[in-house]
Amino acid sequence: MAPVSFAEVDKRFGDVEAVHALTLAIADGEFVVLVGPSGSGKTTALRMLAGLEAVTAGTITIGDQVVNAVSPGERDIAMVFQDYALYPQMTVRDNFAFGLRRRKVGREEIEKRVRRAADSLELGELLDRRPRELSGGQQQRVALGRALVREPQVFLMDEPLSNLDAKLRVQTRGEIKRLQHEIETTTVYVTHDQVEAMTMGDRIAVMNDGRLEQVGTPEELYERPANLFVAGFIGSPSMSLVPAAGVPLELRQAPDGAVLGVRPEHARLWGQGDGLIGPLEGEIAYVEALGRETFLGVDTGPETRFVVSVAGRAPVRPGERVRFGLVPDGLRLFEGDTGRALGPATVRR
Amino acid sequence: MIARREQHLTYLLLGVFSLIALAPIVGILVTALQARGGATSFGVPDGLNLENFATAWDEGNFADYLRSSVIVTVSVVVLSTLLSILAGYAFGMMRFRGSTVLFYMMLLGLMVPLEATIVPLYYDLRDLGLTDTYWALILPQVGASVAFGTFWMRAFFRSVPRSLVEAARLDGSSSWTTLWRVVLPLGRPAVLTMVALLFMWTWNEFLLALVMVSDEGLRTAPLGLAFFQGRNTTDYALLSAGSVIVATPVVLLYVFLQRHFIRGMLAGAVKG
Repeated sequence: MAPVSFAEVDKRFGDVEAVHALTLAIADGEFVVLVGPSGSGKTTALRMLAGLEAVTAGTITIGDQVVNAVSPGERDIAMVFQDYALYPQMTVRDNFAFGLRRRKVGREEIEKRVRRAADSLELGELLDRRPRELSGGQQQRVALGRALVREPQVFLMDEPLSNLDAKLRVQTRGEIKRLQHEIETTTVYVTHDQVEAMTMGDRIAVMNDGRLEQVGTPEELYERPANLFVAGFIGSPSMSLVPAAGVPLELRQAPDGAVLGVRPEHARLWGQGDGLIGPLEGEIAYVEALGRETFLGVDTGPETRFVVSVAGRAPVRPGERVRFGLVPDGLRLFEGDTGRALGPATVRR
Repeated sequence: MIARREQHLTYLLLGVFSLIALAPIVGILVTALQARGGATSFGVPDGLNLENFATAWDEGNFADYLRSSVIVTVSVVVLSTLLSILAGYAFGMMRFRGSTVLFYMMLLGLMVPLEATIVPLYYDLRDLGLTDTYWALILPQVGASVAFGTFWMRAFFRSVPRSLVEAARLDGSSSWTTLWRVVLPLGRPAVLTMVALLFMWTWNEFLLALVMVSDEGLRTAPLGLAFFQGRNTTDYALLSAGSVIVATPVVLLYVFLQRHFIRGMLAGAVKG
């Protein structure tokens, strides 16, 4: 177990800057998720931490050791790969034991650790099988187990759930979180799925275009996004972002070109809830019925679409006009040109 | 209907090509069983003259020649395979300065035919005192085989998922251990295919053996066939019987390795 830190880390591939001035401190035992769209630099950052990519500038520290020049094998980290990267010709047992044997761990200790990992991941029956004889979910657990038995200082996970079907993904998500909680090993987890990030991370680091946009707890990111990118990326469906000038409300302290952000749960049909601001009126562009709730895309103008959340089913159809109101606490203002958050918006009634 | 006609046509075409490929082999087998003298290949067999093989064995000195062939071929195949694996691993998986230039230089070895270099090679080896030794047969063929082998093995190593090698590195495995324990076990079809090809090429090499050695005890089996070809007459029955003797080891090896051989040939075709 060890803290990890990136200090002003750059990575360039030729002329392409994959990571720019990444500074991020991860506490001992913390579960941090790097999230962002593809090409945002999150995987590159993880691979630099693993030692699989060289750092162009800046320093990476694990524990109290700067590891820029330390080989991957000596960093005392274990990684779960997106494609699992299990050794195909070895049994599950040998996959587990390979890294321990390289580190000259004693035979009995290896057997003990393999047994423990296999039990905790319910792989006990499968220890003598080869990877190709396992299902995708089982292979995924073997990949986890191979990292677990190493008992490393830091776990690195590169989109480990992306090859699983939706149901198994949710189940394994919980499993990984539980394991990490038990063994309290510092974990850096990369994903492009913001739901994974929100449900798993103690803290989330949102990356875009090689830059770190915001770091914080899931609540912080959700409640107080630092900029338009984070506001749009975190949350599903994402925050409605509309030009403040195009909304028929009198917003205080809204500079020219400001953008108003409203989460779907803060936009409700008129009459469903007290103290709503409004009413606003628009035409329904789409209806997304999820059963427990329904999301309506409502256009109040050519560039202004609000996502409105309705509990249960909504007896409306695309093309109809509806009236809705906004929850006063849920309004956020952003600067139009920089995207920077300006804080909560207040409305003159 | 069209599908069926297409299928018939396919079988017909494949059948014709198979016949073209098989005809010379059948011809040699038939001729090898003909009575000596007078017979030509493709003639109607006039009995099973198995004594042709015994005669050919004695007259072609195959007991000695086959021994030389085995010594040379096994040495060349073992050395070339080892060197090709190591060089292919470096070119396929390691990033180092000048790797592209070096690789193309190795490819030159594939492109220049032996006939073009045989004369200077003879003088070089003579200066080194290596003519009329097994080295004169082994070293040039190792050189030629490594060019192909490196090319072949590099293609295999490139097909191995990078993450597998990275997982091994994170597990604390050295390059050496990664090669032998993690990567190469996956390459058995590729290696066996290479072994079969190198074996065949080395075994059948004629020109090098003809030029480099004159000592009876060092001559390889293909040279033995030359005995049956006189200046004016050729004993086709014995020549054919000798050919069968020389070709048998290659055929046996092919049959033995064939399952892997086919898989290896297809290994680079589809990435999966």
